[in-house]
Amino acid sequence: MLAFRPLLRNRTMLAGLTITIFVLLAVTLGAALVPYSDTQMDFLNILTPPSLSHPLGTDSFGRDVLTRVLVGGRVSLIISACGVALAAMFGTLAGMSAAWLGGWPETLLLGLVDLLFAFPSFVLALFLMVVLGYGTQDVILAIALVYFPIFSRLSRSLTRVLMGEPYVQAARLIGQPGRMILLREILPNILSALLVQATIALAFGIVMEAGLSFLGLGVQPPTPSLGVILADGREYFQKAPWVLTLTGLAVSIALLGLNLFGDGLRDLADPKLRQALR
Amino acid sequence: MLRALAQRGLALAGTILAGALVVFFAMKAAPGDPALTALGENARPELVAAFRHTHHLDLPLTTQFAHWLSGALHGDFGQSLTLAGGVPVAGLIATRLPVTAFIGAYALMLAVLISLAIGTIAALRRGRFADTLATSFAVLGVSMPDFWLGYVLIFFLALNFPIFPSYGFISPVQSLPGALLSGFLPALAIAAPMAAVFARILRAALLEVLHREYVTVARSFGLGEKFIFLHYVLRNALIAYVTVIGLQVRYLLGGVVVIERIFGIPGLGSLMVDAAFGRDFPVVQACALTFLVIVLASNLLVDLVCTRLDPRRAA
Repeated sequence: MLAFRPLLRNRTMLAGLTITIFVLLAVTLGAALVPYSDTQMDFLNILTPPSLSHPLGTDSFGRDVLTRVLVGGRVSLIISACGVALAAMFGTLAGMSAAWLGGWPETLLLGLVDLLFAFPSFVLALFLMVVLGYGTQDVILAIALVYFPIFSRLSRSLTRVLMGEPYVQAARLIGQPGRMILLREILPNILSALLVQATIALAFGIVMEAGLSFLGLGVQPPTPSLGVILADGREYFQKAPWVLTLTGLAVSIALLGLNLFGDGLRDLADPKLRQALR
Repeated sequence: MLRALAQRGLALAGTILAGALVVFFAMKAAPGDPALTALGENARPELVAAFRHTHHLDLPLTTQFAHWLSGALHGDFGQSLTLAGGVPVAGLIATRLPVTAFIGAYALMLAVLISLAIGTIAALRRGRFADTLATSFAVLGVSMPDFWLGYVLIFFLALNFPIFPSYGFISPVQSLPGALLSGFLPALAIAAPMAAVFARILRAALLEVLHREYVTVARSFGLGEKFIFLHYVLRNALIAYVTVIGLQVRYLLGGVVVIERIFGIPGLGSLMVDAAFGRDFPVVQACALTFLVIVLASNLLVDLVCTRLDPRRAA
């Protein structure tokens, strides 16, 4: 696993971690502390530019944009995290089993991965929205489907690498059952690599949610999500450009934190596994 | 070589067939009745029955699939359910495809140009200010959602420099300069995150190659730095670079879908989004399959380029 000290010595990682913690605090504590609610309308203050009382201005219903960004950020983060968690869980399970079993299950998985990889990411998501319908849980499933092949391919190749390690051979020799070896010997050793991938996927998942909701195919208003707020901002972009511009900037900061954090984590990952992470 | 090519072709055909199967049956499982989508919720039952008969919806699923597939192989993807008069889907795809191909290629070209410059500067000035600047730009680029960047670009560029239109698109078939100009902002929005990814890979690949023995040997021969960079360093670094470009094509096309819709570009992406809203199943099916073929074709192209760059692969 990761040691704590080199974690702090890596400056990229530290910057990423700081931003990420700041973002997490903002969407949890910050959202609770702001004096407005994300649905509270104020028709005296419609589309006001950024000011001290409304740092990101207000939208066409007079709702405070900062409050909506914080609450929406939490919604988007949870959606992305659920999608990535699903993808990581099933992807890792499939990838590890395929590597262990070899033969036709491996061929089948690789074929499926190749097929999923042959669809543009957004087309796959769009297609799924048509099949399942629009809504929050469908966005989660779409993110999971887009990242499933990434996690399954990664965990398969990592498991392949580790299967040759002496400690895995030893565990085999003393007759441990395959599922114990996968769980107790291999999984802990590929966990850090999966974590790196999950961090980066989390950032991409947020973009994907925002993209789908931006087009109106994702989270449905009035639930705020980053994509929904951006889509709102687009409607009155000419009159109040700050809503779209500043919200997007806030999204970029969150993604920057996650990307830097993931980059730093990758530099710290086991050199043996680093190749597979590229 | 021929044998490898044949195997490759067979695998490609297999993937396309599997894709067609998945797309078709997933569509059949989708909620909503195509007949009601086309005729309206309150259509008379006999009209619905007639519609089902003409569109072969009353046949068993496997027969429907065989029918659809053989049609697709002949370039017939059925008819649109929502567009008036049942426009043939194949015609829609044929008019939209060049636009998407143009925007995609344009974005890819911009991404390659930007990333070549940034990646090279960063690698050659490693650890210095220029490297920090280039690397920060690269991380920043990955962190900006492309569709948002598209809007900000409209705001700052199209409004201040009226040469770039903020909406609408001139087809490359009509006027190439017009298409290059009107496609610039959308292509740039798609290219920026891609360029960031490419530049990072190029920087890493260049740094790895710069310290190889053969580069030192070339230096000891007294070859010029420029010559060494172009023929020894860049050429070898390009292998990893081109491979990553191939892997990113699916994200690039994903970006194209959203950007087309936002900038009002009449390409495959906006067609598919509109069809998704209208639950126009034949159109969604055909679009998904076309995108699949585009990605597979570009993967094949990347493989060929890589083999050319790295003759060891051909063996």
